[in-house]
Amino acid sequence: MTAVSSEVNAAVAIAARDVVKSLKSVGSLVFSLAFPLIFVGLMGETIAQNMGAGLGYNYLQFMLIGMAVNTLFQVTIAGIMNLVEDRQNDFTQEMYVAPISRYAIIFGKILGSSCTSLFQLAGLILIALVLGISLGGWSFVRLLVLSPLICLSGGALGTLLVGVVHDQKTAQIGTPMVVFPQMFLSGAMIPVNHSSGVLAWLAHIMPMTYVVDLTRAVFYWGEPQYHNVVLYSPALDVAVVIAFFCVFSVLGVWLFVRAETNR
Amino acid sequence: MEPLIAVEDLVKQYRKAKQPAVKGISFQVQPGEFFALLGPNGAGKTTTISILTTTLAKTSGQVRIAGYDLDTEAKRVRQNIGIIFQNPSLDLTLSAEENIRLHACLYGLYPYRPWYRLMPAEYRRRVSELAEMVGLGDHLFKRLKTFSGGMKRKLEIIRSLMHRPRVLFLDEPTSGLDAVSRHSLWQYLREIRDREEMTVFLTTHYLDEAETADTVCIVNHGRIEMMGTPVELKHRLLDRSMVVDAADRAALKRELSALGLSFVEESEGFQVRYSEETPQSILCRLQTRLTKLKVVDATLEEAYIRLVTGGTAGGDGV
Repeated sequence: MTAVSSEVNAAVAIAARDVVKSLKSVGSLVFSLAFPLIFVGLMGETIAQNMGAGLGYNYLQFMLIGMAVNTLFQVTIAGIMNLVEDRQNDFTQEMYVAPISRYAIIFGKILGSSCTSLFQLAGLILIALVLGISLGGWSFVRLLVLSPLICLSGGALGTLLVGVVHDQKTAQIGTPMVVFPQMFLSGAMIPVNHSSGVLAWLAHIMPMTYVVDLTRAVFYWGEPQYHNVVLYSPALDVAVVIAFFCVFSVLGVWLFVRAETNR
Repeated sequence: MEPLIAVEDLVKQYRKAKQPAVKGISFQVQPGEFFALLGPNGAGKTTTISILTTTLAKTSGQVRIAGYDLDTEAKRVRQNIGIIFQNPSLDLTLSAEENIRLHACLYGLYPYRPWYRLMPAEYRRRVSELAEMVGLGDHLFKRLKTFSGGMKRKLEIIRSLMHRPRVLFLDEPTSGLDAVSRHSLWQYLREIRDREEMTVFLTTHYLDEAETADTVCIVNHGRIEMMGTPVELKHRLLDRSMVVDAADRAALKRELSALGLSFVEESEGFQVRYSEETPQSILCRLQTRLTKLKVVDATLEEAYIRLVTGGTAGGDGV
């Protein structure tokens, strides 16, 4: 095997481990469906019925897109954060002594958790179909095409987190502090067009805001409600997503390697 | 012959520690050698093995393994070493074979395939060969949650040998195992060492495991206290002794005194200590008819305790 194919092979093996693990834990896979069911089925339906009339677009579809991005983004972050659990269980040692780069390990984790997040996306689609929410036909296919980018951006943020969080206790407290503000302030579930003050500022610095906005731009492209749901130009979204992907992933891997070897 | 492991003036200072954990140690391990690194808790054993296996950065010093520099050729070093960690590093949600397959693919030995049957025939042959050798042939496809501690260790042996390393690092490999599992694990390790002609680098708390080592290196407070073969260490640290007794004890006592031997009278006879002489040369000089003769073979453990406690505990050679 050449050096490059060896690195790719290792990353695929690491990713496959995550996929096999998630397929083996059927219970948690089924349980994960409860999350979109509560948010889309209960919260989404309630907001749609009571406040969605004057919005000028189908709120449930709007929320479904946000939930799809949220699922891909957050599940990928959680997958990368499993490295903290692996570290606690001494499994990371096996990966660290292998003759592969740390980038291959991180890339494998991003790939594996991205695949796992797709299982959960499938669950979300299933729930949407059961609830009778329109998926939007080809527009949803465009969203699926964008899904690798969404997963990569979530993976980059996860890499940064794993670079600074070194124990499971901190991860358990810290991860929700990163996940929940993004879920509520990025516009994934609740429109943020009219946010002001601190909330608007927070929405601007949330990486997921730009990922959600880019996804909606792709989904609603050419639709009359485009300007009601999209905040920024897609070019700006792409630029910001690429910028934070590069910064977070490079900084995250550097911190991760440093924390492991320079004790 | 070029040493397989060459460590020169190795120093490790942890960021939050006042004292370095390793204070400039130097040693060499030759190809095929069984090298045991011993020392009490906090002596610097795990720090040293972590540096040698590339999981911890050193502060200063030079390390070469299999001819490769640890700083500039870490990947090459990793390709040539196998490790059994102090705590098992296995994924308990996967099967035994899935753990081995992951390892083989991390080392770039075989292209990853999602099912065992799709893996290359050479991989399947090597896995079953090693599994049969350690007696795990019937358990390859079982989840690790059903494995005992000893079985997990055996699985780690299979895994660490998959890439045919030139040196196998064993970091307290039997800690937490019962006596039977320890015994059988060492039986397999000896068999594998002979068969694969492998260099073994061991750290352990069970000193009997190091009795068969070619070289024993005792570290304490981050420094090498003593290094040599187990026999050399015992001779350097402990008085050798023999126990003799006779029906006519008084005559024997007189004779021992007349010969100028150092001895102590005990309930089972006279414990005679010697350093330059041999039991045979002493016996040749005794005329009194003996009723008892016992040559006491000191253990490495006694020598070790003498060294790390500064001669205040044990180590009297009996």
